[in-house]
Amino acid sequence: MGYQQKLRGLVVSTGLLGVTLMGLASPGWAQDYKQAPMLEEKVKSGALPAVNERLPEHPFVETMVDGVGKYGGTLRTTILANGDQYNLTRTIANELLVRWDPQWKNIVPSLAENFKVSDDATTYTFTLRKGLKWSDGQPFTVDDIMFWYEDVFMNDALSPAKNPTFVVAGKPVKVTKIDDVTVEFKFESPYGLFLQQLAYGQGHLPVIYPKHYLQQFHEKYNKAGIPDLLKANPAAGDWVALFNSKISLTFQPQFWQNLELPTLNPWILTVPYADSERVVATRNPYYWKVDTAGNQLPYIDGVTWAKLDDPQLMALKMTSGEFDFAFRHINNSTFKSVLFDGQETGNYRFVDVKDLPANDAVILLNLNSTDETKRKIFQNKDFRIALSHAINRQEIIDLVYVGQGAPAQVATQPEHELFNEREATQYTEFDPKISNEMLDKIMPNKDGEGFRLDDSGKRFTINFMVADVFGLSYPDVMQMVQTYAKDVGIDIQIRTTDRARLNTMWAANEQDAYIWNCVGGLSEVYTDPRCYMPFQKADIFFAMKWSEWYSNPATGEEPPAEIKALMASYDKVNAAVTDDDRREKMKAFLNLSADNFLNIGISRPMPKYLMVSKDLKNVVDGIPITGNLWHPAPTLTQWYFDKAN
Amino acid sequence: MLRFLAKRLVFAIPTLFAVSIIAFIIIQLPPGDYLTTLLADWASQGGAVEEGTVAAMRERYGLDQPVYIQYYKWIAGILMHGDFGISFELGKPVTELIWGRLGFSLLLSLLTLCFVWAVAIPIGILSAVRQYSISDYSATFLAFFFLAVPDFLMALSAMYLMSAWFGQSVGGLFSAEYVDASWSFGRLVDFAGHVWLPVIVIGLGSLAALVRIMRANLLDELSKPYVTTARAKGMSEFELLIRYPVRLALNPLISTLGWILPAVISGEIIVSVVMSLPTTGPLLLRALLAQDMYLAGSLILLISVLTIIGTLISDILLALTDPRIRLQ
Repeated sequence: MGYQQKLRGLVVSTGLLGVTLMGLASPGWAQDYKQAPMLEEKVKSGALPAVNERLPEHPFVETMVDGVGKYGGTLRTTILANGDQYNLTRTIANELLVRWDPQWKNIVPSLAENFKVSDDATTYTFTLRKGLKWSDGQPFTVDDIMFWYEDVFMNDALSPAKNPTFVVAGKPVKVTKIDDVTVEFKFESPYGLFLQQLAYGQGHLPVIYPKHYLQQFHEKYNKAGIPDLLKANPAAGDWVALFNSKISLTFQPQFWQNLELPTLNPWILTVPYADSERVVATRNPYYWKVDTAGNQLPYIDGVTWAKLDDPQLMALKMTSGEFDFAFRHINNSTFKSVLFDGQETGNYRFVDVKDLPANDAVILLNLNSTDETKRKIFQNKDFRIALSHAINRQEIIDLVYVGQGAPAQVATQPEHELFNEREATQYTEFDPKISNEMLDKIMPNKDGEGFRLDDSGKRFTINFMVADVFGLSYPDVMQMVQTYAKDVGIDIQIRTTDRARLNTMWAANEQDAYIWNCVGGLSEVYTDPRCYMPFQKADIFFAMKWSEWYSNPATGEEPPAEIKALMASYDKVNAAVTDDDRREKMKAFLNLSADNFLNIGISRPMPKYLMVSKDLKNVVDGIPITGNLWHPAPTLTQWYFDKAN
Repeated sequence: MLRFLAKRLVFAIPTLFAVSIIAFIIIQLPPGDYLTTLLADWASQGGAVEEGTVAAMRERYGLDQPVYIQYYKWIAGILMHGDFGISFELGKPVTELIWGRLGFSLLLSLLTLCFVWAVAIPIGILSAVRQYSISDYSATFLAFFFLAVPDFLMALSAMYLMSAWFGQSVGGLFSAEYVDASWSFGRLVDFAGHVWLPVIVIGLGSLAALVRIMRANLLDELSKPYVTTARAKGMSEFELLIRYPVRLALNPLISTLGWILPAVISGEIIVSVVMSLPTTGPLLLRALLAQDMYLAGSLILLISVLTIIGTLISDILLALTDPRIRLQ
């Protein structure tokens, strides 16, 4: 246990400058690592090398929740039949150079044994664990990272645009090999958030490209052999398509359809996520983590996902005890009562999940609307404040969200260090009187039905796009908002639509307004402030022309001074190099964002849950999950069945 | 007969062309394309995708071309190489995906048909022979009750009952240990243990129509003079019933036999989704939702082909079973 404390003590927080994590002293038991019985047999028969040869020199030593576990068992879980590849990612695939600890507090070395950050936050040096191996037994070295950098990331055919995680101020990273285990990432300008970005899901890009396997599909390495490979693969027209069919970008299902692809994950696929009725993975004999007693992880032999077409069937099978673990699709209020009643028959218990976005329902007015009149009114902060006061949030929460929520704006959660009472609750009091007074100054004239008129004397109408997504009952919420708005003379027309149509409207900047949920309730707000300022174009579109300008001033529209100030304030967050400085800069940024009051939040989200078998131990309670924090994947290796099934 | 067949086949060709064009256009009508769906999912996972990547992917999938060029490429592939295109989402040739699931769809349809006929025909006969009796009323009531209950609700209730009260594993056609196994006696038993529930759920919904058709047809026949004649000649009541009026009353059932072919693909999509059956229904639904257009287009084309073939088969069967039709 003393060793563990040492590990904790050594944990490096993101900004501790220039601190090199010295290689964790090799444990005294280095000579007698233990392994799962199923691998023991393979070693005896000569099919596998001994466990000490398979593990790196200094394996990652996992911090246990309950204690050292036992080997065996199959984790039975479930997945939607299609379009649910993130479920696999979040269960078995989240191995990175550095990772967030399960509490989402600190960044700790993972595949890298240690890392060093330069004082100006431009240069990051990683030292890999010596002797890391891909799941096929081939060594994982800096050459694999260089393969990703030189032949994938910098290759214009494979990466026509550069992933923003590795770009700062429009300039992509420069990666240099120092030696077989040391690699340097260098940026032209300060990028203090790089470690955080690297510890989130997308940060896995440098470590998912096994050179020894993928080079055969790359034009640079196998120009002569590619025509034959193309003939054998009817789905690919050229080498780029062929390469992408072997390891496609992670957001595409093809990533989970290639069984040959070597990985660094704890379990490796044996039945792909394709047209079979289930997905199966078995333990990776070369996995590079051990427990505190020197047992190679993971404890559980394999994972099976039953592919189901319908979440209701998932819930039913959970209650009949057919799964040991489930969370996605059935961990919302719709299913909670059924699942609660089924705990005995299904032999499972609930574990809290801190899946806490900034807001469950946000009204996003299009500040860059192409309609001159509407743009002017939407850009008027007083109009947004007036509309905010007109909404009876508590009534919406009681009626639509069965009391699960609290009136709030888009803001960080009360439990988070960045929480600020004013940012969270400003303009949330239900007060139609104030609202009317403010609106009377902006649009004093009304028509016969009591609706306000714009400057040209026409009724001011907001066409509101509403899609029924995330199980958050947006159509019901909007109907109530429509009534409240009518009471203060604002005409809201609801246009129900589906997500795909909304997507095309965003891209063309055609919508007046829509309702969506907002990320940024916990620490992800540092790297993903898309609801707090015009940022990347994904999901949140309230000022897309300004976001375009932010990513490239030659495009989009130049925003007004206060928005520019907001953007500059976030740039300071990105340039900050110490934790404390970054936190202060972030607080200033959030404060400024609240001053600008860009969008109108309705309800603060409440924690969600996941279900695990009562026999499973070492399960982290209250694990945080967000869009880019792909938990609980990194904690599953220490799960074990107390009653091996 | 042969001329009739040839004529029907020749007429089928322009019909199929028209259907393929309409199907392809309808699939493209909703805004967005396959990538829109994919990127929406990615965005909700905290991902952001750069314009350049999207544009390149769109070009790679040929989604940036006008609809008529996409259609031409697709139809040319089918006619010249029997190549129905690639499913974007599953990364496999469409033909491979469809054949894998067609078998179970066909089997399920056949089993359901057998079940429905085995139940509906006796009940229909009973209702007709004992018209306005308690058994007639209760059979009719039950049949209409099942017709009125939405099939997804029936599927959910049946699964809940089996799971909560009898502890049976529901959903799918196999238990976990047999899903990927090759065919064996054990797998067959496992299949039989699973397949009866969807068969009953799907079958019960269509029971009412068949019972009523059977009853009405038989009532028409029962009052005809040849029945009286046969009875006068001293034929036993049961033999009389089965040999003459029932045979005639079956005609409309045979003429609907051909419909089972298109239903193999499109039928009972909702039940299949709710019960997670490995049939073509969920494949079609997902292809449409994800705008996986070559897969969706090919499935719709296949449904049309099967409808035409099915109707043809019905005509031939009718001609075989009823000499009067042949003579016309």
